[in-house]
Amino acid sequence: MPERLPKPLRNWCMAAAAACLLPLLLQVPPALALALAAIAAVGYGFDKRWPGVLRLALLLGVAGYVLVTFGFNIGRDVGTALLAALLAVKPGETHGRRDAQSLLGFSLFAPFAAFLQDQGPLVMALSLLALGLLLVALSMLAEYRPGAPAPRFETSRARSMGLAVLVALPLALAGFWLFPRLATPLWGMPENALGRGGLDERMTPDQWIDMFASDAPAARVRFPGATPARQDLYWRAQVLWDFDGRSWTRERGLAGSEPASDPVLPTPSNVIDYELSLEPTDQRYLLVLDRPLEAPEGARLLADDSVVANAPVSRLLKYTGRSVAGPRTDLTLDPATRQRATALPAGLNPQTVALGQQWSAESGGSDVAVVRRALEWIGAEFSYSLTVPPTGLHGVDEFLFDTRVGFCQHYSSAFATLMRAAGIPSRVVIGYAGGYRNPYADYWVVRRMDAHAWNEVWLEGRGWTRVDPTAAVAPVRILDTIEDRQRAEALLPEAFTPVRDLADWARRSWNELVLSFDADRQARLFRPLGIDQASAGQLGLAFAIGAGAVMLLTLWYLMRGQPASRDPLVAAWLEFAKRLRRAGLGKAPSEPPLAYGRRLSEALPGQSETLVSLSRRYAADRYAPDGLDGEARRQLIADLKAFRPARKPR
Amino acid sequence: MAHAPDLAERLGERLSRLPLVKPRAVEALPIHIDRRRIYVLPTGFGLFLGLMLGAMVLGGLNYNNNPALMLAFVTAAVAHNSLVQAHLALSGLRLVALHAEPVFAGQAMLVRAAFEATGLRHRPGLELSAGGVQAAFDLMPGERAEAVLALPTTRRGWLEPGRLRLSTIRPLGLARAWSWLLPRTRLLVYPLPEAGEVALPAQGGDSTSRRTRQHGEQPHHLREYRPGDARKQIAWKPSARSSRLLVREYEASAPRELELAWEALHGLAHETRIRRMARWVIDAERLGHRYRMHLPSAVIGPGRGPEHRHACLRALALMPDA
Repeated sequence: MPERLPKPLRNWCMAAAAACLLPLLLQVPPALALALAAIAAVGYGFDKRWPGVLRLALLLGVAGYVLVTFGFNIGRDVGTALLAALLAVKPGETHGRRDAQSLLGFSLFAPFAAFLQDQGPLVMALSLLALGLLLVALSMLAEYRPGAPAPRFETSRARSMGLAVLVALPLALAGFWLFPRLATPLWGMPENALGRGGLDERMTPDQWIDMFASDAPAARVRFPGATPARQDLYWRAQVLWDFDGRSWTRERGLAGSEPASDPVLPTPSNVIDYELSLEPTDQRYLLVLDRPLEAPEGARLLADDSVVANAPVSRLLKYTGRSVAGPRTDLTLDPATRQRATALPAGLNPQTVALGQQWSAESGGSDVAVVRRALEWIGAEFSYSLTVPPTGLHGVDEFLFDTRVGFCQHYSSAFATLMRAAGIPSRVVIGYAGGYRNPYADYWVVRRMDAHAWNEVWLEGRGWTRVDPTAAVAPVRILDTIEDRQRAEALLPEAFTPVRDLADWARRSWNELVLSFDADRQARLFRPLGIDQASAGQLGLAFAIGAGAVMLLTLWYLMRGQPASRDPLVAAWLEFAKRLRRAGLGKAPSEPPLAYGRRLSEALPGQSETLVSLSRRYAADRYAPDGLDGEARRQLIADLKAFRPARKPR
Repeated sequence: MAHAPDLAERLGERLSRLPLVKPRAVEALPIHIDRRRIYVLPTGFGLFLGLMLGAMVLGGLNYNNNPALMLAFVTAAVAHNSLVQAHLALSGLRLVALHAEPVFAGQAMLVRAAFEATGLRHRPGLELSAGGVQAAFDLMPGERAEAVLALPTTRRGWLEPGRLRLSTIRPLGLARAWSWLLPRTRLLVYPLPEAGEVALPAQGGDSTSRRTRQHGEQPHHLREYRPGDARKQIAWKPSARSSRLLVREYEASAPRELELAWEALHGLAHETRIRRMARWVIDAERLGHRYRMHLPSAVIGPGRGPEHRHACLRALALMPDA
């Protein structure tokens, strides 16, 4: 018969495990999270240990379900879901002390796994709560002895565990700041099987509706110097070259070289510096302000002016960028690139192709005239809407000659097709346009709803030039502020705008202070002390000194001990005995209060009555069945506190 | 109560054979437990949690995942402090007394160990263990706490409690702090009295005239239970009334003065002789006789009463082995 934990103790262990599991469940698909929560609840409610076969079957079933949910890709998110599944099955086999210990130990790993997916303050708060509950459960488990009454939860226990965390904080912070960080990871972050929230390497008209409905931030930007005008805030993510009639894509191998052209010489007036923190996308593109002059560290600037990081961005990434406002003069276009930038799928969109060829013939060789004519046409006869009928095989023809309504994806796709038909090299650029300036702090937030697609055409004498056909039809839609948009769509009542701004500001502060601390910032930590770049050895020494000092402080605090009792009367009595010890009349540990009182009254004859009365009243409260009533107790506490030995005893 | 030893206990047991581990010799009371003789090792669970934390720190550093690192460092710091707290729970304790009432061989001996400490620290969840038995106790500041160990006994004579282990796994059960105690104390174990029907030896020569019935002695006199009294002698109803165990004394066998002679048991095995004599002592005392014990080494008595009984049983307990 294996030992079984008493019910209250088991409940607390389960509560701690559930609190640990919660942040993890927030990271898995909702249906799976519900199923796992149900399994955990049933396992908790079951009084008997599940048979091994059942547990195995359950585990295999859940694991199979997870794999199906994620389409049999193995990734970080799959690992997270599997860990959640393991933990959810565990309560069904948790009955003894060892079971509870292994449950709690593995539970500790759950918040860690959650942090691999989301490092926001919410997950952090939930994890700290989980840690508190875990410590309470651990302390109860340590107190539990088979056969003895089960340890109970009291508020004092929660308080002492909270205190334990507070006391541990200095040491933890010393570790956090000073423990030498890795400048380069030892192994790469496993990628997620399902992407999250970024722009794909592919643009298919009609696919961005989800993004337009999300006000989650994609990036936050600060301009240390001059802030560009809002209509110049085009954030490049990817450049798409290849069109198959339905989707625009980029093929990695073709755009992998450094820019071949000479950029305009940056002059102080048109160079823009910015600091950008990019929310994780699990993709490799970096968001840069149009047009980038150089790539941030750990990334490459490609020939088409897009910037690609060496590894997928799986956590908040902070970098500084330099861009130049205005077009770049790369005046040559090699034949291979020209061919690629004018290629169209054969046999598709015949009307558009015919129109392009006709305009090209009528323009007299001026590409600028064709571009201008197309923009005028779009501005005059097209309208903007997010509700668009689906299109068929000749999607561009249908859009240009039939529906004439759509949003940026339709416009950029159709415009590029038309230009290519007219023989003008063109490509699609996707990214974000605009941004929203937080009124409480000096930064801009770019939201996922700011996603945008525009075009670049290659013009003789001007090089690749940005053209935004959507702006021709609905400039407001691109460059308006979120405020305007929300007023129009009533996503959120206006009254909440300050709340949202402040919340975003808090989130940004969290990002700045906590999330973006890394080896680089650590190395610069000792700049005030004159050490510009601290070496690993110096950091190790600093960690040893800091942690040592904090440990000494902690030791001193722990050795002090707590006040003997929460009972004010006992505390007052011990204080009383302490004062008398200083007078040379300490209480022997085994001495009962009455005997102590008698001894005191002999030693201090002048105060003997008071002393006898005090000890008698104290004994009456401590050892008589009913104790003293409230008023008498308060009086005794006051008297004990007021008592001072009159003089040194002989 | 038995429990599976954790990692720290098994390791501690092994390490205790190392020459450096204190104490190396028996010590006189009071034994002061200072920091130099306290050992701390993680329990199996603590080690498991430590490995988890190590993995978390490594993963957090590798991915530069700051919240994960923060959580791992906070947990690690709490765990580290719990090691310190376990150490501090023992540091400064004093074993001030160790004593036990003698018992008959085979019975559990209740060894009382009294601890004190100075300072204001609470010291809950202390465990004292020896030879596979454990006792738990708490020590509040300014008080004295007693741990009662039920040590099993097997043979008569001096029982050396041997090495006691004072330990604790509080506050979180991640580490066990312990200290070995080797108190210089001997505890007496009486020989197990012979069971069954045993007749007392015949009356001695000159006792008749001396023994007179004392004033107030009733035919059915009640007295307090003493170990060794037969169960059927217990007066259950008066016992229930007085909440002590009382034994009915039959006056049928009038008090006599007995000679309990080692030589009279010639022919019995050595240990059986001792057990028979022990039984005689108990029976004689119970029946209120005065008795004198003749051993090869000494003659004890005549006398009567708890002290005389103890002297006789002690002499029997300490008889050299045959």
